[in-house]
Amino acid sequence: MSAPDPSTTVDPSTTVRPTRAVVACVKFTTILPEVDPLDGGVDPDVRRAGLSESDLAAVEVALRLGVDHGVPVVAVSVGGADADPSLVELLATGVARAVRVDTEGAPSATVAGLIASALHDRRIDAVAVVCGDYSSDGGSGSVPAFLAHELGMAQALGLIEIEVEVPGSLRVVRRLDGARREVVSLQLPAVVSVEGGVADLRRAPLAALLAARPGDIEVVPGGSTVHLEPARQRPWRPRSRVVPAPQGEHALDRIVALTGALVERTPPRTIELPPAEAAQAILDQLAVWGYVDDERPGTTDAPTPDAVERSDTPPLLG
Amino acid sequence: MPDVDVIVVGAGPAGAAAALEAARAGRSVVLIERGPFPGSKNMYGGVVYGRILDDLVPQWWEQMPIQRWVTRRQTMILTDDQALTVDYRTENWGRPPYNGATTFRPDFDAWFAERAVDAGANLINSTTVTGLLRDGNRVVGVRTDRPDGDLTAHVVIACDGVNSFLAKEAGLYHHDGAENYTLGVKETIALPRDVIDERFNVRGDHGVDIEMLGASPDVPGGGFLYTNAESLAVGLVLSLPALAASGLRPEERIAQLKAHPAIAPLVEGGEVKEYSAHVIPEAGFDMMPELIADGLLVAGDAAAMCLAAGIWLEGVNFAIGSGAAAGRAAAVAVRHGDTSATGLEGYRARLESSFVLADHRKLRDAPHLVMSDLAQQRLPALACGVVEQLFTVGNPVPKPGLRRIVRGEMKRNGVKLRDAAAQGWRALRTFG
Repeated sequence: MSAPDPSTTVDPSTTVRPTRAVVACVKFTTILPEVDPLDGGVDPDVRRAGLSESDLAAVEVALRLGVDHGVPVVAVSVGGADADPSLVELLATGVARAVRVDTEGAPSATVAGLIASALHDRRIDAVAVVCGDYSSDGGSGSVPAFLAHELGMAQALGLIEIEVEVPGSLRVVRRLDGARREVVSLQLPAVVSVEGGVADLRRAPLAALLAARPGDIEVVPGGSTVHLEPARQRPWRPRSRVVPAPQGEHALDRIVALTGALVERTPPRTIELPPAEAAQAILDQLAVWGYVDDERPGTTDAPTPDAVERSDTPPLLG
Repeated sequence: MPDVDVIVVGAGPAGAAAALEAARAGRSVVLIERGPFPGSKNMYGGVVYGRILDDLVPQWWEQMPIQRWVTRRQTMILTDDQALTVDYRTENWGRPPYNGATTFRPDFDAWFAERAVDAGANLINSTTVTGLLRDGNRVVGVRTDRPDGDLTAHVVIACDGVNSFLAKEAGLYHHDGAENYTLGVKETIALPRDVIDERFNVRGDHGVDIEMLGASPDVPGGGFLYTNAESLAVGLVLSLPALAASGLRPEERIAQLKAHPAIAPLVEGGEVKEYSAHVIPEAGFDMMPELIADGLLVAGDAAAMCLAAGIWLEGVNFAIGSGAAAGRAAAVAVRHGDTSATGLEGYRARLESSFVLADHRKLRDAPHLVMSDLAQQRLPALACGVVEQLFTVGNPVPKPGLRRIVRGEMKRNGVKLRDAAAQGWRALRTFG
C-alpha cells in the first residue's frame, strides 16, 4: 500500500466552489476467488481482482447520467493501491476524476463515512451517487444504504433498469422478492445501486489508456480502520447464481425438479421409525455410503423390521 | 512521427523480454496483452530453464515464482504394459545458479512482464491486436480492438504466439501446414505436497521432470509428467494429423496414459483441477517463418522457436532468447533511424550467434527423427523387450546371450538391422 500523498489532501475549509458531478462508487475486489471446496477458504489472487460487474455497470450508468445532466463523473473507491490500475482504466473510459480513500478492511458503515467525507473535503456536490449492488467477494451490499444516510439522500437499491425521465428525475425498476418488480420515480440527488446486467462499461480508448497515469488518481488518507469481522458459522461461499425456474404444474413437481431427486439412480425412500431406531437407520445408511465407519458397535446390516417404506412419498435424501 | 518507438504484441516470455530490452535501451515501448494480465491465458505445464535470464534479471532465482526446482530428470520408454526408465538426479540443479524449474506460467509471465514495466515499458492488458497498419509494404503500427485503437511505431515485434496472425498477415509464413504442429494436452492434478514428495522421492522445493516416449499408442508424440508444489502436470504432445485420423479425443489419450501401470500409481488419488490443450510449433527450424520484414520482427512461438528434439523439450528459453534479441535489434535500428528489413538485420545476426538459431539448425532433423514410426513404436517395444528378456530368470533354461535376445526382439518388432543402423546414424548426426 502506497503512503498517502499529503499534497493531495484538501483543507475542508477551502473556499473552492463545489463541483457538481455524478459519483460512481467502486470497490477493488476479488473477481474469481479460488474457494477450497472442503473448508471454504478463499485464496484471493490480486491478478484476478478488479471491479465487480455491478461496479462496472455503475460506472457506465454514471457516465450516461453525467452526459444527461451535463456534469463530469467522479469515481470514488476505498481501498489500497492495488485498486489504482482499475481506477486508471476508469479515467481512460471517460471518468473525469478518480479519488481513492487509502485504507483497507473498513466495514460498510465506515466505508460510507469515508466516501461522504472525501466528497465533502473535495467539494464534490453529488448530483447522483451510483454504486454496484454488492461486491463479488461476499459483500453485503450495505454501503449504498449507509452512504445515502451519510449524504442525507434518497436511495433506490438493487436496480435492474434506470433511465432519465427528465434531468433531475429518474425512472428506475427494482428487483423484489418473488420475481416481482417495483417501478420507482426517483428525484435526484439520490443514491442508487445497480445490478451488473444493467449496463456494460464502455471500453477505454487506446490513446486515453496510454495517456492515463496512476499519478492522476487523487489519494485521500483514510486513516487506520479497525474492522472486526463477525465470526462465520459456515465457511464463506460465493453467492449462489440465479438459475432458471424449475418446470412443473404443482409445487411438489417443481421442488422435485429443483432437487433432481427423481433422476437419482437409487430410488428415494422415506422410513418411519421411533427416534432411536431412526437414528440407527441413518447411521447404517451413512455407513453404506461410506461416510462413517461401519465397524461401529450396534451397526446392523438388515433393515429394521418395522420400517415402513413409502415409495409414493417425496424423497428424504441423505 | 509514430506514437512510440516499439510496439510488442503479446506479453508472454518473448514479448516481455523484447519489451524489457527495448525499454532498457531507452526506447518508448508499448507491450500489448490480449488477456487481463500476462499469462492469464497460458496453459504451459513444463519446465522453464532460467540460464537465459542471467543477463536479463540478475539473481533471477531469488525472485522468479517457481513451483519446484527440477533435480530429477527421467526419460521413460513405454509400451502398453512395460516401462524402461533412465533416471538422473543431481543436487547441483537444486542450488544456485540452478538449471530449470516447474512454474505456473500465469505467475511467471506476470512476474517477467513486470520487469519490463519496471524498465519503462507501458503494459496494456485486455487489448487484442487485430491487424497490422501498413504504409505500402512497410509495417507502421497495429490496429487494436479498442476504440480509437490504432497505434503507430517504428518497429512492431510480433510475439503473438503459435498461431501468429501478424506474421501470417505479413506473409512471412510459408510452412504452416498441420503436419508441422502438435497438440499439447495437459491435466493439472492436485495432490498434497507430502504425497508428491513421497511418490517422487524428492524433498523441499525439489521436483521431477519425466519425459516419455511411446506414451500414445498409434499417434506419434510424447508424454510428460512434471511435479509442481502441490500438483502434477500430466499430458501428451500429439501429432495433429495423426490425432485427427485416430478418432480418439485428446482427453481419452490422457486417460490412457494415466491408466498405464507405470503412471497410474503416480497420479492416483489426485483431483483433476484443470484440463487444457494448446497447439505447439513442433517442426522447429524447418517451419520457421521469415523473421524480419520492413518495420516488423517475429519472435518466440510466433516464429516457431520451440525445440522439440526428443531428449530436449524447450520453448520458454528460446522465446526469451529470441525476444531479447528482437528488443535489442529494434532499439539499435530505431537509434540508427533505419527500421527497414535491412536495418533490422541485426536481429538475425543476434539469433545466429546465440543458441536460438544454432540449436534449431543443429537439431533441425530431430523432430522428424523423434516422430518417426520407428522411434515412436518399434524402438520402444524393442528396448523394453530386450530388457525384459535380459532380466527374466527362466531357469532351468540357461540365460540367453544378449545378441540372441536383441536379434529375437528385432524380429518380433519388425526392426531391420539396416533401418536401425540408418536411424542410429541419423541420430548420431543430429545429436552428436
